[in-house]
Amino acid sequence: MRTWLSVGRVIRLSSADTTDATASGASAEEVITDEAREAVLAELTARLGDAVLGSHIRPGDDLWVRVDRSAWRDAAEAAKAMGFTFFDYVSGIDWLPSPFGRDMDAQEDLVVSGAEPKEPAPIVQGYAGGETRFQVIAHVYNIATATGIHFKADVPDGDLTLPTWTGVFAGANWHERETREMFGISFDGHPNLINMYLPTDFQGFPLRKDFPLLARRVRPWPGIVDVEPMPGVADAEEGDAE
Amino acid sequence: MTAVSDPNQLADLLAEATDTRVNLDFESEGMTLNMGPQHPATHGTLRIVAKLDGEQVISAEPICGYMHRGYEKIVEVRTYPQINALINRIDWLGSFANEVPFILAAEKLMGVEAPPRAQWIRTILFEMSRVANISLFLGDFGLQLGGMTAGFYAFRDREHVLNQIESATGGRFHPNFDRIGGLKDDLPKGWISDSHVAMDKLLAFCDEMEDLLVGNEIFQSRTRGIGIIPADIALSYGLSGANLRASGVDWDLRRDGCPPGLVYDQADWKVWTHPDGDCFARTWVRLQETREAAKIVKQLLDTIPAGPVMAKVPRIIKVPEGEAYVATENPLGEMGYYVVSKGDLVPFRVKIRSASFNNISIVPWVARGAYVPDLISILGSLYFILGDIDR
Amino acid sequence: MGLVESGRVPKPLSKLLNLSRKYSIWAYQWGLACCAIEMGAAFASPRYDVMRLGVIPFPASPRQADLVVIAGTVTDKLAPAVVRLYEQMPDPKYVISMGSCANCGGPYWDSYSVTKGVDQLIPVDVYVPGCPPRPEALLEGVLLLQERIAHEDMAERWKGDPIVVS
Repeated sequence: MRTWLSVGRVIRLSSADTTDATASGASAEEVITDEAREAVLAELTARLGDAVLGSHIRPGDDLWVRVDRSAWRDAAEAAKAMGFTFFDYVSGIDWLPSPFGRDMDAQEDLVVSGAEPKEPAPIVQGYAGGETRFQVIAHVYNIATATGIHFKADVPDGDLTLPTWTGVFAGANWHERETREMFGISFDGHPNLINMYLPTDFQGFPLRKDFPLLARRVRPWPGIVDVEPMPGVADAEEGDAE
Repeated sequence: MTAVSDPNQLADLLAEATDTRVNLDFESEGMTLNMGPQHPATHGTLRIVAKLDGEQVISAEPICGYMHRGYEKIVEVRTYPQINALINRIDWLGSFANEVPFILAAEKLMGVEAPPRAQWIRTILFEMSRVANISLFLGDFGLQLGGMTAGFYAFRDREHVLNQIESATGGRFHPNFDRIGGLKDDLPKGWISDSHVAMDKLLAFCDEMEDLLVGNEIFQSRTRGIGIIPADIALSYGLSGANLRASGVDWDLRRDGCPPGLVYDQADWKVWTHPDGDCFARTWVRLQETREAAKIVKQLLDTIPAGPVMAKVPRIIKVPEGEAYVATENPLGEMGYYVVSKGDLVPFRVKIRSASFNNISIVPWVARGAYVPDLISILGSLYFILGDIDR
Repeated sequence: MGLVESGRVPKPLSKLLNLSRKYSIWAYQWGLACCAIEMGAAFASPRYDVMRLGVIPFPASPRQADLVVIAGTVTDKLAPAVVRLYEQMPDPKYVISMGSCANCGGPYWDSYSVTKGVDQLIPVDVYVPGCPPRPEALLEGVLLLQERIAHEDMAERWKGDPIVVS
């Protein structure tokens, strides 16, 4: 008879029938350092030199590397040479805290947490640090070792450009088009940087934090009009939420 | 013509020029063929603008965006449970499978793990949605190649799975059943034996499809040797799922990169690959995957552990600060969510890496030099869902 | 016939023609999103089988259709195509808006790219709520539309005046 671990304890799963132990499966048990990913980082640093500006390793899980934007294409080439041949995605992050504050959140949240003061919060970048409001993030994967690298690059406000990855990973083509459309970050040397989704006369860059969702301003949250308490639990739920 | 000075761009152009699959006669006028946005063979509103030289396609450019709903923006103003209800609709054929990677990413950030029973049921429903998704692909692909019967069979037998999903989750199409820390409810009474029956029916459906469709001579002549994608090209475009395995790459996130929270290691199953990389290989791999999925479900149904289906999580979910990327092997391929949280009720940024977007970005490459009728085979066998491309 | 143009259709004749029209609706499927699959289940699957209601699915072109089912999310980029499709259909034509997205924007009510309701573009006869509606719900919508056709005054409809729903 099999016994089960108690609720809430983390069960790490190993791979089912891979013969070579993968980094994520094998090294997961209470390991604080992650040799496989540190080796990847070391090799990447050796290849790129000073261009590696920051890094972050979550043991047994993921690796973030921030590179200088002039070395953006070199990073892709280095990764590809190291066996990271599976291209996952390229996208952007706008680290500006939403200037609309709670206005842009669901009305329900206003009820739950109350209004928040609208003072501009500082820009705080995530893993592997950063200096600019916009960052480009990309993910490549090594399917032999089952490890991935998240590349990040700072893009300064005044000059929102990066070298393209299309020559290294052909799949970057569409992703860079999407990033250009959503954030306004353009890619040098991209063969066809036209809109992916939106009509050509669309104004603004939707995924920037200062792009307002106008429908939220003119319409109340539709869910608020037909709130129907569940039979029996209505009072308890109301009391909890307050 | 403007001079190209950038060496990178020059290298790209050179690579394109040396791609000699197209024997171009640059002098001829050519013709532009516009397929869509409404075309029966594009299931959804994908538009393809193809430049033709006679019957041969010189270039085919998909034009997306007719189904762009702005997911990545509107999830920034929704709480985590609200997002869970919304993301069902990205890949609408395998709805439950969309929820899982997002929930797993949130769980990873929160440090919560679902109880074993919830993990089991999650995996079962995940595979059921794969069966529901791919069984329709088999019928739909037959329909596109002119075999109407396959479509009727697929719609008929798919209902068995949808019934099971509905009786467990309450939603035929969009379950919204997954929760951070577990599941909404336990299974209803009698569900396990009913599911066994349903899976047996689906296994019979697979046999039927193998005879009816995959073994059909017309089908084979329209798919064999058409739209060949070599493995290195597939990797550089980020193809995933059956499209990648049909090119001979033995890579399945269920086996190789399974995030904690799914129990694929508890079942005995096989990852199928095919060396050809053509339309037939993709269909064949998917057919085998449907079988494997049904087998996984049947095995896991017998070993569901007892216990609760929900871990202890706070009532109002605030996800701690951090970044996490979790990807799972969805019916269409790798689906991942890059979640950036600032410790708020709502995520700061969610990048949705959907499988079809990468899968369909190879169309301009693979369609070059193909013939117009083969374009239908290629598009159909790459298998995309519009919502999964455009999001 | 002349009767329609002059606005006088004898009641029995009108009734007879309406009866025949109601059971020979050629429905064009405009499947856009999730609802398209449920519409496919209603139209093409042996389990729901819309043909028993006298609806003939899958005409080759909108020019041969009497009814269009807008099933799914309509985006601003798609809107011109929807209008164009509607204009291609011959009169008298009917529209069923299927699902929350086509009705009012549904879960994408605050999105920057989704049209909040297809009725902003073309007149809609029957709204089928749900996200997505079950195939049975779509069949119910078809029945409602048939009821409406049965009580229609052809002269009034074909003169091109706005339709008033009773």
